[in-house]
Amino acid sequence: MSQQVLAKDKGVEEPAKNSGISKRLSDFMVSYGIIIAFLFICAVLSVISPYFLSTNNLLNVLRQVSINGVLAIGMTFVILTRGIDLSVGSLMACSSIVAASFAAGSEASFILVPIMMGLVTGLTLGAVNGLLIARFAIPPFVMTLGMLSMARGLTYIYNDGMPISNLDATFRFIGQGVVLGMPVPVLLFLGVFLISWFTLRYTTFGRYVYAVGGNPQAAMVSGINVRRVTFTVYAISGLLCGLAGLMIAARTGAALPQAGVAYELDAIAAVVIGGTSLAGGRGRIVGTLFGVLIIGVLNNGLDLLGVSSFYQQVVKGGIIVLAVMLDRSRLSSS
Amino acid sequence: MRNIKIAAVSSITASLLIGAFAVADEPIRVGAATYGLQGEFMQLWSNSLQRHPAVESGQVEVTVFDGRYDALVQNNQFESMISRQYDAILFVPIDADACASAVAMAASAGIPVVGSNALCNTDQLAAYVGSDDVLAGEMLANSVLTQLDYQGNVVILEGPIGQTGQIDRGRGIDKVLSEYSEVNVLERRTANWSRAEAMALMENWLTSHRGQIQGVIAQNDEMAIGAIEAIIASGLSVNDFAIAGADGITDALTAVKEGHMESILQDADAQAQGGLDVALRLVKGESYQPLSPIWDEYSELEWNDGQSELYYVPWTPVTLDNVEQLLEKRAR
Repeated sequence: MSQQVLAKDKGVEEPAKNSGISKRLSDFMVSYGIIIAFLFICAVLSVISPYFLSTNNLLNVLRQVSINGVLAIGMTFVILTRGIDLSVGSLMACSSIVAASFAAGSEASFILVPIMMGLVTGLTLGAVNGLLIARFAIPPFVMTLGMLSMARGLTYIYNDGMPISNLDATFRFIGQGVVLGMPVPVLLFLGVFLISWFTLRYTTFGRYVYAVGGNPQAAMVSGINVRRVTFTVYAISGLLCGLAGLMIAARTGAALPQAGVAYELDAIAAVVIGGTSLAGGRGRIVGTLFGVLIIGVLNNGLDLLGVSSFYQQVVKGGIIVLAVMLDRSRLSSS
Repeated sequence: MRNIKIAAVSSITASLLIGAFAVADEPIRVGAATYGLQGEFMQLWSNSLQRHPAVESGQVEVTVFDGRYDALVQNNQFESMISRQYDAILFVPIDADACASAVAMAASAGIPVVGSNALCNTDQLAAYVGSDDVLAGEMLANSVLTQLDYQGNVVILEGPIGQTGQIDRGRGIDKVLSEYSEVNVLERRTANWSRAEAMALMENWLTSHRGQIQGVIAQNDEMAIGAIEAIIASGLSVNDFAIAGADGITDALTAVKEGHMESILQDADAQAQGGLDVALRLVKGESYQPLSPIWDEYSELEWNDGQSELYYVPWTPVTLDNVEQLLEKRAR
């Protein structure tokens, strides 16, 4: 009898213990899995390519990821509320060409004018997305798909489809300047990252974003203005597209109307690799940061190794699927 | 874009008027099927058509179609041009093979198709007015190799793999490179005609081949400029590199002026207006004399009463001597 009781006790206890460990393990993986994956990729690349770890190269990687990084952070806010923003590439191109039109040639306006015009363009188009999604309940996929096409069209109309180049040197500083040894686009990306991280972690608005994505009905019942939160995330995404537009025009020295085609896919990929759930309510901005870095490091590393860009596409796609698979197994284990 | 739209609208109004009053002297209607209007070159090409003397005087109406970089879209546009009974079609195909069926359709409907800018692998084109991309590749490679004294290390930036421009310019580059064994190709990759992609690629190459790259052969100007931006961003001097691109876009002209690169100009005016003249000769018959000024500009380009099958518009090397003049012309 006593043995049976013991066995029974054990039987009850053991699974509990197991789930405790696996819970802790999965928590650890949720928090640090992406960072471990990133460090692993870096370690492998630094062994195969002697150039990878040089300061110069690491700065290159950061500079190359900064534009996708800014877009992906906006995308994180949107995806956390169960939404999607397919229009980021078009919004970025539209903002960049509007900004550049105030920064070109001898008639360039005071530096703040193109900056404001670019940001306002992105913000406005993002706000249109947000308004129609929040107020008229248009599905985000449909709304932003429509905006992808509309904003691209507006970009071509704005300057008759021609690029705008010969940008003012002060303006180009946004993309090419260096402050305290760090390229300006990298500093902008880090700034956006820190503000967003703080917002999502420590502010009421941040908690609302998670609540709306986790369960919109519950959020509404508990008194959260779901519409306002929804509107705001698309406006944020639009504003960040405006910033990315300034960065890409300043970096390449020209605003091209065809810039940014399919950039939404890289932004979504970074968010997904970073472990944010497309079902909303779950994910971290830190994950997105490392998602962006993983894509950047892979592109850079495969370039350094002279691997064909065709393979890069295969690898990137594989990693997206792998990331979601890990996410699923995490979900089912917890 | 604006004047294209105006042309489209006015062509509709005009045809309505014609329908109503059966005016005898109706203008010739030419459809211009472009592969897509999103790049600077096709914009210049389309605008140039609208400035052709026959179009400005109202004898000819040109409607420009945006092929949206899709062979199927172009095919559909051919169908509507045939059903709307255009008098002639100017064709810039997106793909050299997929275009053949569209040309065949028009040919069997009795509408002459004149190719412009990009070749179509078919024997049913009435004529072709364009520039030789293989020759462009040779000129690009020669430009860089001359600066390097035919020895050293180069990288090659290519267009989208499989596109006619990439294949033909690549063929020309290979032809020259195969003659000089002391030139070493360190890397050869596509940057899809894109400035931003070329910039990232070049930054990475400057890291993995630190201090070794001496020349950059870019299959178009956008990518050459991307490479220049990468060199500047990496804190190196552009003057230490021999760089060449093709097409003669405005930014490249400026870069040539600054001594950063060499370019060869693909003349959109000559390709568009020359093509239109050849098409009009086919419609109007022997009495037609070419109206575009381009036939006088190039002594190598012979009108030959519009009877040639191939009109190769020469590439113009952009040098410090002619760049000011070309920039002025572009500003107009």
